[in-house]
Formats: sequence, structure tokens, C-alpha cells
Amino acid sequence: MIKKIYLIGNPNVGKSVVFSRLTGVQVISSNYPGTTVEISKGYLLLKDSKIEVVDLPGTYSLEPTSSAEEVAVSLLKELPKEEIAVINILDATNLERNLLLTLQLIEDGFPVIICLNMCDDATHRGVNIDVDKLEKILNVPVISTCAVTGVGIKLLIERIKESAPTARKKIAHEERWLEIGRIIEQVQHLEHRHHNLREVLEDASVRPITGFLMAAGIIYASFKIVRFVGEGIINNITDPVFIKLYQPILEKFTFHLQEKGFWFHLLIGDLINGKIDFKQSLGVLTTAPYIEIGMVLPYVISFYFILSLLEDIGYLPRLAILLDNILHRLGLHGYAVIPGLLGFGCNVPGILSTRVLESKRERFIAATLISIGVPCVPLQAMIFGLLGKFGGFYVGGVYLVLFSLIAIIGFILNRTLRGYSPEFLLEIPPYRFPPLSMLGRKLYYRIKGFLIEAMPVVLIGVLVINILLYLKLFDFITGMFAPIIQGLFGLPKEAIVSLVIGFLRKDVAVGMLMPLGLTVKQLFIAATLLAISFPCVATFVVLWKELGFKSLVKSTLIMITVSLIVGSALNFLILR
Amino acid sequence: MKKITLTQIKEGSKARIIEISGGHNLIDRLMNMGVYKGKEVTKLSHIGLRGPVVIKAGRSILALGHGVAAKIIVEAE
Repeated sequence: MIKKIYLIGNPNVGKSVVFSRLTGVQVISSNYPGTTVEISKGYLLLKDSKIEVVDLPGTYSLEPTSSAEEVAVSLLKELPKEEIAVINILDATNLERNLLLTLQLIEDGFPVIICLNMCDDATHRGVNIDVDKLEKILNVPVISTCAVTGVGIKLLIERIKESAPTARKKIAHEERWLEIGRIIEQVQHLEHRHHNLREVLEDASVRPITGFLMAAGIIYASFKIVRFVGEGIINNITDPVFIKLYQPILEKFTFHLQEKGFWFHLLIGDLINGKIDFKQSLGVLTTAPYIEIGMVLPYVISFYFILSLLEDIGYLPRLAILLDNILHRLGLHGYAVIPGLLGFGCNVPGILSTRVLESKRERFIAATLISIGVPCVPLQAMIFGLLGKFGGFYVGGVYLVLFSLIAIIGFILNRTLRGYSPEFLLEIPPYRFPPLSMLGRKLYYRIKGFLIEAMPVVLIGVLVINILLYLKLFDFITGMFAPIIQGLFGLPKEAIVSLVIGFLRKDVAVGMLMPLGLTVKQLFIAATLLAISFPCVATFVVLWKELGFKSLVKSTLIMITVSLIVGSALNFLILR
Repeated sequence: MKKITLTQIKEGSKARIIEISGGHNLIDRLMNMGVYKGKEVTKLSHIGLRGPVVIKAGRSILALGHGVAAKIIVEAE
């Protein structure tokens, strides 16, 4: 009786896509090794009984060499072998490398069924595999699938019950590759193909000169597209909806509320020149939804569109090769670009994905650098909204400060922390072009996740802030921190409210700055400080979970010290 | 035939691995990824200033940090 089904396979063979197909549970999948850092679970209906399906992190072998692999292997051994089925997912375009794990699974007596995935891509690349012969040699069911389109999944489900242990002699580690070589000779036939454009691009993107040129072009284009699409949505969709549709309705329903009254203050906020101003009124029904939907959401959409596209094509590991050099100086290696780029969307998944890095030391450095120097999309969107009108100089300036901080702090941490960082060792996936529907689904999933997480916090947050402001309860903190805020940073003392709220959500915090009538210099300092000072509460919790309490305290002390230094340096030295 | 490391051979050249002079963990990790003693690999690229080396082993493309590549001793043709 099967109680649990495990999906296991090498990194980046499409386990998560198969998982989504089997269970209907949407999980993020990308074209690079290590997308799955959390174990996902779902259910498959098999002959009227619900069976749990577990998506394990990718592993090359049953003899683990990294912590992610250890997790996968230990989970696999949780239940007795009679009670589980193991779906071993293989990448048909690279059968040889995948068979090592397969042989180990069979030798160890696991009830295995093989899902030979990416069959369409293999055919494209001139790789022909004799599935029947492979099934005969391995003596376990082999089903060829293409998980992104769903081909073969039905058959895979039908044959799960056939999974059973087979007798196969255990062989020494060194002999396994020879054995695999013999199997490959019998089942795989390669057609000779000329290099096509895709392969030329694959090669060019990892060579020094062409690689850096391509990287510069891709980063520049990505940035331009994110801005173009984001602004396009704001100017053509969200702003018209807010101003032409939502504002008149709002005014109609609230005209009977007395201005300056408690409810009016709470829901609408202050009128600016006798009118609702979505950017400055600060009400639960005005500024709160406008910040999230009118200013941040458009950029969340455009950012994740580009990130998802680059992820699925498989460009990011190539960027990792090019940046390995620089990141090495910061105590990291090239693969830290993945958590870094995810951090630009939201620090939480960024810090979670530091699990792709091997050592605790690296993960501490990466997580700290992300919390300080990588602004999330909501914060960036607000910085654009706030500083953009003063010209690219100031927006660029914020990024310049942040990136310099990453370089300086990383360099210092690498020199002062004990231990050394491991070397870069990464498999580079081929470029793939999954169907647009896959991209759409991933984008939808990420945007839904953003709205579900952000909207309640923002609405309740603004509500609570407004009550506190109404009751003048912030005055105490304002007074207490006035010397630092005014004396060191040159900001009006009310700005502390924004910095405190930064702990809740960065975008709302920037929103709180809008009505203060700050000068460009003050806005610049406040925005930079919001980025570096303290992560939002969600990031804080993840840091705690991932690093442990001691490292969290260390990381936090670094952030506070850096904020004090940078805030005063900007105020007194640089922007005089 | 001469014995040199992966960092020293030219881009585009083929070589056979004769020794990996690293710790057990490195040897195992490389072995699991299909890079082991006796395997023939092609060096695809090398990012300058002690950057990573990119090789093709079987049908896999692998990026090895400079330190790793320097530990892989090969026999170049």
C-alpha cells in the first residue's frame, strides 16, 4: 500500500513542474539548479485514495555532499520502503548524468518508477532514447514525459502502482560510471546536428568578451523594460482608474463624514487643497490602496515578468559565472546572484534562497548584504515615485550608495569573519523556451502572493498608524529620537514615524514621507536610510529562522551601525 | 602529452582527467556530477583574473571556480 510518493532527481530536471502537474499545487519552477529550497507537499488522487506527494530538492546522488541533498536523502528514508513510491525524474537531454542517482535508488531497493522528462527538448537536440530498452535494462517502469505541456503525465500516474523494488547488485562508486556508459551505448542514439542559434548563444554567454557584452545588454534592457512596463501600467491603467473612477465614488460616499472628524481622518485622511490627494492624504481608503495598487503593483508585475523570463530561459547561471570573480572578493561565489536577484523582488524569497550557498558563513554574508543593500520592488517603486521627478541623478544615487555598501561591507565581512568561502561549482543549464502559459502562471502566482501578503498588512497598518497619529501617541518616540533624526540625519523629527513604519512595510514607510514636504536632499537621505536601516518584519522573521538568533543580532547590529554612519555621512559630507 | 591543470589549457581544447588533487568532498561532488578520473572533458571558456573555468563533460556544461579548476590535473593532447 503506497502512503507517500516522493519526487527525486538531479537539480533542474523539472521536478517542480511534474509536482504541479500531479498535485495541482502551483510551485515556482525555473531553469536553474536549486529553485526548490523548501519542501513542497501536495496530494494526488489515486484510485479514490489521496496520497501525499513530496517534491524533494534536487540531488545528484544518494551520498549527499550538500545540506540540500542531505535533506532530500533523509526525507526519503523516513518511511519503510514498502509504503512509498519513488518517482525518479530524469532529464532526457542529459541521460548519462542522471542515471547515477537512478542506479543508486534501484540498488538500494527503493520502489522506483522513472519519469524521463523533457523528451521534446531531447528530440530537438537530436537525442533519441530507446525507452523500451531502457525499461528492460533497468527493470523498472520508464515513462517519457514533457511536463511543461503535460504529455505523458497521465500514463505516469497510471503506472505509479507498478513501482516495486528490483534486485540489482550494489556496485562500487567508480564502477557505476562505467556501467552507465554501457547502458548509454545501448539506449541512446545521437544525431549529428550543426550548431543552431541557441547553441551559439549558449556558448557566447559564458565566454569572457561576448559574455560581458551580452550581460550588459540584457541588464540594461531588463531595467528599461521594467520601467517602461511599470510606468505604462501606472499612466494608462491604475492612475486613470484611481482618479477618474475611484475618487468620485469615494467623494460621494464620504461627503457626509465631517472633515477633521475621527472617521474622516481614519478613512480619507487629510485633504490637500480641499481635495483627496492619493499620495498625501494618508487614509485607509485613499493612500493605503493607492500605494499598493497604484504605485507598487505595476512594478511588481513588470519586475517579475522580466525575472521570470530570465529564470525560465536559463540565463541566471550564466550571469553567475561572469560575476563569480567579483563576488569572491565579498566572501561569496557566483551563485549568490540568484538570492541577490530574487531579493530585488522581495527580500524574503531572496534570503530563503541563500540555501543554494553551501556554508553558514556565505549564507550570513549573503543574507546581511541582501537586507542592507538590496531594495525590494515595493521600496524601489516608491523611490522612483518619490525621487523620479527630480531626475535620474537622485534615483541613480540611491543605487550607487547601496551597491557601494554591498561592496564595502562584503569586503570587510570576508576579511573579518572566520573561515573561508567554498568554491563555485555549478551545472549550467541549456537555454530553454517554455510555453508562455508557464510564464503566465508563474507571474500570476507571484503577483497573487504579493497581494495576499501586502494588502492586509498595508490596510491594517495604515489604520493603526492613523489611530496612533490621531491620539498623538507617536509624539513620545518623535521626541526621543529627535536628536538623531534632526542632528545626525538632518531630517524633520516627524520622519522617525516613517523609519519606524519601515519595520512594517517599506512602501508604506516611504508613503509616510510624502506629506512631510521634504527637500530633495532630505528625501534622498530618508529613502536611502529606509533601504539600509532595518529589514521589514517579514524579512526579520526569515533572517531569524535561517540564520539563528545570534547571527540575527550580529546582522542587526551591522545594519544599525551602517545606517548611523551612512545617514550622517550623507548629511554632513556628501550632500552639503 | 603533458600534465597540466584545467586552468592552464587553452579554451576549446580537449583533455583527459588524470587526477583531482582535492579533498574527499570535492572529489565526491565532482564524481556525482560526472567529472572523475579518466573522463574526457572540453574546456569551453575561462573568465580572466582568476575567474571560473567552464567545461563540457559528457552532455553537461559545468562552471568550476578557479580554485577547483586548478586542482584538476589533466593530460592535454
